[in-house]
Amino acid sequence: MIAPLEKLGWFGDETSLVIAFLIGIGFGFFLERAGFGSAKKLVAQFYLRDLAVFKVMFSAIVTAMLGVTYLAWAGYLDLSLVYLVPTFWIAQLAGGLLLGVGFVVGGYCPGTSIASAATGRIDGVVFVLGFAAGTLGFAVASPLLQGVLGAGELGPTTLPDALGVPYGAVVFAVVVVAVAGFAGASWIERRMAARDAGVR
Amino acid sequence: MRGWISKLTTNQRLAALALALGAIAIAATVGPQRTATVNAKELLTRVERGDDHVTPAELAVWIINGRADYRLVDIRGAQAFAAYHIPTAENVPLSQVADGGLARSDKIVLYGDGGIHAAQAWMVLVGMGYPRVYTLLEGLDAWKEDVLFPVAPANPGPAEQARFERAAQVAKFFGGQPRAAITAGPAPAQPVPAPPLVAPAPPAALAPGLPASSGAATPPKKKREGC
Repeated sequence: MIAPLEKLGWFGDETSLVIAFLIGIGFGFFLERAGFGSAKKLVAQFYLRDLAVFKVMFSAIVTAMLGVTYLAWAGYLDLSLVYLVPTFWIAQLAGGLLLGVGFVVGGYCPGTSIASAATGRIDGVVFVLGFAAGTLGFAVASPLLQGVLGAGELGPTTLPDALGVPYGAVVFAVVVVAVAGFAGASWIERRMAARDAGVR
Repeated sequence: MRGWISKLTTNQRLAALALALGAIAIAATVGPQRTATVNAKELLTRVERGDDHVTPAELAVWIINGRADYRLVDIRGAQAFAAYHIPTAENVPLSQVADGGLARSDKIVLYGDGGIHAAQAWMVLVGMGYPRVYTLLEGLDAWKEDVLFPVAPANPGPAEQARFERAAQVAKFFGGQPRAAITAGPAPAQPVPAPPLVAPAPPAALAPGLPASSGAATPPKKKREGC
């Protein structure tokens, strides 16, 4: 058995939607259980008081990366068939900054806002409405934005290709950065807690 | 050792595990596989059933109908490819067939000059787990003989004549020319040898000449993916 199963014809589009639905429920459940249905928890990272979001997301990246690497290494996953979102570095940089501003102002990112709305939080519902209106507005305006949307096109790009470094070396480097990031994040949290205690 | 580990928190143990797995992964090779494993019986059965090739006539109809659910792959060198190739073909020289440019999910039709190189590449790809690979039966040689320069039958019945006229239309679509029938003479005449091919056949330019050609200019459709 070699993955990706959908690409190799193990099941069709309909079945893949059902599987996506089940995975989505699991994703939403764990977002909520991690406390990410609350804007207070999410926004605390911008005040450097609680960097759980950073740690959770980076752990997910490292876990998925190691899983994909070992599956491909063992021959169970054909990486050449895994879809890569094409890189448009200028457009994606601008989009990332916009998303960050929206995150700070609204207290949610798209996924967590839906988890929050699903638990009945009013701010989450308002955020989802705004997010839907913004998506519609973008769809209407996108013909005018063609030049911006395609800016910095590099096609499907991976770090090993772009840097000319072996795949495994990038994997190790990302793990090292993540572990250093976790240690740094915990240190910052302790510093901020101590400072807050001193202020009071 | 055990005492040292038990002093760590769960998070620290997980971080150490991730670092260890990351360090081992430095040696990982995740590129396209270089080895092919052949299931001999299955492979031979496929060949015997004829489930390993398409004929030039079938391929010609696919191209005229503008079918885009397969990739036509020319495994000759770049020079030969530039001199002539079947319309809609892409060039992947034999030595690069296993380098990952061809995806396992693709339906692939391979051709070379004759049938042998394509059949060898077919065997390698099937062994690497490509489920839908085919060769063009007898390769470009048969393409020239059957599609580009079909020979008129000697004493055709009406059905045979109709078939030849269709073949002649197809030949003109691909920039070829039907050849005259072999007439019984004092010496057994050979059919006129197919003229050499120089320029790449214009793929869609000839489309208006043929009734069934409406779809010939349609570019291959790509399935959209992503979020």
